[in-house]
Amino acid sequence: MNSVILVARREITTHIRTKAFVIGLLITAVLVGAVAFAPKILGGPDSYKIGAVNSQELPLKAAAPDAEFEWRTFPDEAAAKKAVLDGDVDAALVNNTKVLTDGEIDSQLGVLLQSTNRELKLGAAGVSIPPLQMVSVGADTRYQSARTGIAVVLVLVLFMLIIGQVMMVAMGVVEEKGSRIVEILLTSVRPWQLLAGKIIGLGALGLINLVTILVVGVSASVVSGIAVDFPPGLPGIVAGVLLWFVLGYAFFATLAAALSSLVSRQEEVSNVMSPLTMLIMVTYFGAFYATTDPTGTLAKVASLVPPFSSMVMPVRMAAADVPLWEIGLSTVLMLLAVAGVLSFGAKVYERAVLRTGARIKLGDVLRAK
Amino acid sequence: MLEISELRKRFAGGPDAPEGKVALDGISFAVRPGEMFGFVGANGAGKTTTMRIVMGVLQPDEGSVSWQGRPLEYIGRRRFGYMPEERGLYQKMRVAEQVEYFGRLHGMGAAAARTAAGDLLERLGLTERRGDAVEALSLGNQQRVQLAVALVHDPEVLVLDEPFSGLDPIAVDALATVLQERCRGGVPVIFSSHQLELVERLCDSVGIVSAGRMVASGTVGDLRAAENRTLRVVVRDPAPGWADGLPGTVTVTGDRHVLLTTDGDDQEILRRAMKAGQVEHFGAEQPTLTEIFKEAVA
Ligand SMILES: Nc1ncnc2c1ncn2[C@@H]1O[C@H](COP(=O)(O)OP(=O)(O)OP(=O)(O)O)[C@@H](O)[C@H]1O
Ligand SMILES: [Mg+2]
Repeated sequence: MNSVILVARREITTHIRTKAFVIGLLITAVLVGAVAFAPKILGGPDSYKIGAVNSQELPLKAAAPDAEFEWRTFPDEAAAKKAVLDGDVDAALVNNTKVLTDGEIDSQLGVLLQSTNRELKLGAAGVSIPPLQMVSVGADTRYQSARTGIAVVLVLVLFMLIIGQVMMVAMGVVEEKGSRIVEILLTSVRPWQLLAGKIIGLGALGLINLVTILVVGVSASVVSGIAVDFPPGLPGIVAGVLLWFVLGYAFFATLAAALSSLVSRQEEVSNVMSPLTMLIMVTYFGAFYATTDPTGTLAKVASLVPPFSSMVMPVRMAAADVPLWEIGLSTVLMLLAVAGVLSFGAKVYERAVLRTGARIKLGDVLRAK
Repeated sequence: MLEISELRKRFAGGPDAPEGKVALDGISFAVRPGEMFGFVGANGAGKTTTMRIVMGVLQPDEGSVSWQGRPLEYIGRRRFGYMPEERGLYQKMRVAEQVEYFGRLHGMGAAAARTAAGDLLERLGLTERRGDAVEALSLGNQQRVQLAVALVHDPEVLVLDEPFSGLDPIAVDALATVLQERCRGGVPVIFSSHQLELVERLCDSVGIVSAGRMVASGTVGDLRAAENRTLRVVVRDPAPGWADGLPGTVTVTGDRHVLLTTDGDDQEILRRAMKAGQVEHFGAEQPTLTEIFKEAVA
């Protein structure tokens, strides 16, 4: 076990010191931060500029708390008219009776002005109207768009991280095999220890990346204010993402190690890995589809079947409510798949990694002994 | 004692050689603690294959390797030091870290591994390069790192495949001294080499392999004794035809005639030589290891 830790630690320390890792981490952090601020910069809440000529400012904010209002006073109607035409203000209220607009008024602003004006006048006349109470009898859809957004970002993050780390496992295996370092390594560690150490080490690097993304993403969202739209179950979603990343990575990385141990040169890696990259791509597309239809049959089935579940389930969990038994079943199935792949992968790796030279056929490895 | 007995290994052939290739054909030898064993043989004779089987990198078809009377297993091999023929190091890893890492993989504690790595690098003249990435080193210096990796954990047995190739004379001496020290400490050392003078100088015993078999082995002295002694006579300016009827061959360089023979009556030869001219040299030749080697694999 000690050897596994040593191998894993070497992977972590050698990679974490490389420029590629540090720069990659910085870029992801910046990108994730940018995504969290984008809604504010691009859309942001509705905001209106309203001019007033000889008028009282209407309590618009009370009627529409999400929107921003800015009042500007003008000395006379001519000045207000010029400001409206120049686009300096969206509308101008004149003498508490008339609203100047450039063409047709923004419908929301129009309705707001009318109703606030009415309410104010009625209030002044001693009439008070209790506001209508809104009661939803359907599903809680308040967070739907936020949840879908989170799910879309998650799919991308999971896919990028899994394929990136899995390729690193493959390259590492071939580096050791091709340069014959394995010949010395395997006189001091068992093949499974070497394999486990490598997968754990590179997985830890992936987790560092993932945690950075989550921390930056969540804190940037809090700072930018979009976090108020986040669903209440966020910690559960985050925990789920971490769990499913670990499971999915373990599955794909083990297969990657087994496949890449069949070749001895870096140039052959992408070739021998192509079936696996295909499988990851299919999983990715499945998960992406699930963001658009998280409650559909396809998403439901794919979120139970390994290895697709490794990306589809976290996406489904983010995008919609998933019954607990489905999460449990899917986790158990994925764990079984990981166990199976580990025993298969370790066997292939052990038999193939010392056979340098031409590419070995998988069938030959499985038949041998 | 490290015992290699009756190793056989056949490599599967390709489509053009379906019968395959016999690399080892029943090779046996033993190395005692504190013995330096030189493993020599022509290219393709089977040295590397034997060493890889000893280190468990290859499985033999038949035969066995035992250490201290017991079949050699993974646990035993962990205490061996190995330098493979095809060198392998992490190119991007720093020199000292790399040596330390392999020490730790062999079960050393962190502090012990650091000290051992530092000492070895010092001995091998690499102290100044300890912080460099391996890829930045010249080939010979990379080879020194590879040796440090094989030696760092104070191995019980050393198996080194051509450790001296590519080293400059200073490094050869440094390595020879390190190996002799380890040997004196009771470690059996096997190394293969094509530098026969070096083998002759360093080794207590030598094994000559040819086509997967051990054709001669023993101390250099034993091998010499087994060889027919060669008589070498140098005569200056002799009468022409002086050696007619004598066994052996005569080569002429300038006015010197050199007679080499392995049989015939030496007293008779001496008389003839003295009559013919001025005898500059008369004596039995010590065959060099190179000569023994050529004879053995012929
Ligand atoms: N992986 C392999 N596949 C097929 N044949 C092999 C393989 N490895 C070695 N051989 C063959 O086995 C024989 C012995 O090779 P080996 O490498 O042991 O020789 P060697 O004594 O170390 O030679 P050298 O002095 O050139 O290093 C050679 O004929 C070689 O072609
Ligand atoms: Mg060799």
